[in-house]
Amino acid sequence: MRRLRPYSLPYLLWMGVFILIPTLILIVLGFSNLQLYNLGVFEITLVNFTIFIQDQVVSALWNSLVYSIITTVICFIIGYPVAYYLSTLSDKKRKILLAMMIVPLWSNMLLRIIAWEKLFMPTSIISDLFGISFDLLGTPTGVLIGMVAMYLPFMVFPIFSVLEKMDYKLIEAAKDLGASDLQTFVKVTFPLSSGGVISGVIMTMLPAMTSFVLPARIGLGKINLIGNIIESKFMKEVLGSSGASINQGALISLLLMVLSVISFVLITRVDKEGETLI
Amino acid sequence: MMKKTLKRKIPKLIGLLLTIFSFIIIFTPILVIIVLSVNASTKGYSWEGFTLKWYVELFQNDVMKEPIINTLVIAFSSTIIATVLGTIFAIGINALEKKKRVQMMVINNVPVVNPDIVTGISLMIVFSLLSFTLGYYTVLIAHVFFSIPYVVLSVMPRLKKLDPNLYEAGLDLGCSRISGIFRVIIPNISTGILSGALMAFTMSIDDFIITYFTSGAEYMNVSTWLYATLSRGRSFTPAAYAYNIIIFAVTIAIILFVNLKRDRKEKTV
Repeated sequence: MRRLRPYSLPYLLWMGVFILIPTLILIVLGFSNLQLYNLGVFEITLVNFTIFIQDQVVSALWNSLVYSIITTVICFIIGYPVAYYLSTLSDKKRKILLAMMIVPLWSNMLLRIIAWEKLFMPTSIISDLFGISFDLLGTPTGVLIGMVAMYLPFMVFPIFSVLEKMDYKLIEAAKDLGASDLQTFVKVTFPLSSGGVISGVIMTMLPAMTSFVLPARIGLGKINLIGNIIESKFMKEVLGSSGASINQGALISLLLMVLSVISFVLITRVDKEGETLI
Repeated sequence: MMKKTLKRKIPKLIGLLLTIFSFIIIFTPILVIIVLSVNASTKGYSWEGFTLKWYVELFQNDVMKEPIINTLVIAFSSTIIATVLGTIFAIGINALEKKKRVQMMVINNVPVVNPDIVTGISLMIVFSLLSFTLGYYTVLIAHVFFSIPYVVLSVMPRLKKLDPNLYEAGLDLGCSRISGIFRVIIPNISTGILSGALMAFTMSIDDFIITYFTSGAEYMNVSTWLYATLSRGRSFTPAAYAYNIIIFAVTIAIILFVNLKRDRKEKTV
């Protein structure tokens, strides 16, 4: 197999081009007045940091933190028992239910968000057919429901995959040694599944924190997260927004990258080769 | 005794109830999309009777034609390219010594963990440095980029199970390096390749964020077209729901078919 090694080299180059280079450029952009679309001489400056005192940005940062944490906590509270329950089922049932949890992800994400939007309108199909009006557009509750529904599977999958592979003899051993069900769970099962929990928390929290269509649609643009700020800073040509500044956007993106690096280090600790990621 | 069984049953019952609840919230948007795709109302605020006209309009609507074709072309081409490249890279990575293999897998997983918005911006920056005009090719490269790691991740476990001596034996028996790959390695990892390809396809066909940042203002797939329409404050034809349901149903059918076939194969072996 040794002579097949060279096949991995182009991949390293490819990843270098698409990961390393843009990261370096983002750093330069964030700390200078370099113009991305008009490359030339630039000066190192901290002027871009002024975005962190803009009210809009401060509230977006705060919202990102709050919404992603609440979403993650709710997803964990629901997702762990679900993953646990699924792992106790027979092989066949487990397979079917897991597949059913993946299936909705094959529907267009944007349309799923629009579906919630239609459902949360003061006059919706539901209110027409059943007389129940949710009227949750533009409210934090609406955004949170949308987020939980969207990201819950990403919490369940990694936890499930760890629980499924767990050695049941350990649990039996704990019980033989006199542990109660609760003690077995707290001292054996849960610690053994912590790798899956870490993956699950990250795979839920990062996308929730960076989502921008969901808060824009369900939150009616009243609830902005970092993703919305990044979008408005970067998509100058597409959006034609006047406040666009790629350098400021770069700075916020760097902040996200730092978070993703931290998450990444955590995931790599618990799962070196990314087996809980798919 | 009674008390003990009850105590055991409560956690199980909570698990069951939460599972039911999860399925309800996960499937709610799907049900809404299905209902809207057969609802005669254009705006979708009320129920105005059953119709299949949106499914017909889908094939006649000129506005949607281009985004749909773009979506499909990108999905098929990026899946093929990503599957081929991902498999080659995975074979190379698997042949590395353990330490380097783990390092490569860590690099491989960067785009998987990175939020889509970060990946999208990174790609956009690279394209602007290379002065590529945003459009078909940049979207294609972007989709290939985010798909490869998933192909590698699904091929890898199969490769690990493969006895390295088999390949060496193939070479000793006269295979060239390349034909050894096709005759020994590929047949043994084909299920991994297939599931990687399916994953790449399902992600490409529904992608919004990465396409949004790499497509420019002219080139649109269905997702970015929907977003652009909504951003301009307009509403889109319910044929979009019909489109989604068709793609959804076809995806389920393909994956079900592949899995059933695989199960049957594994049973007979």
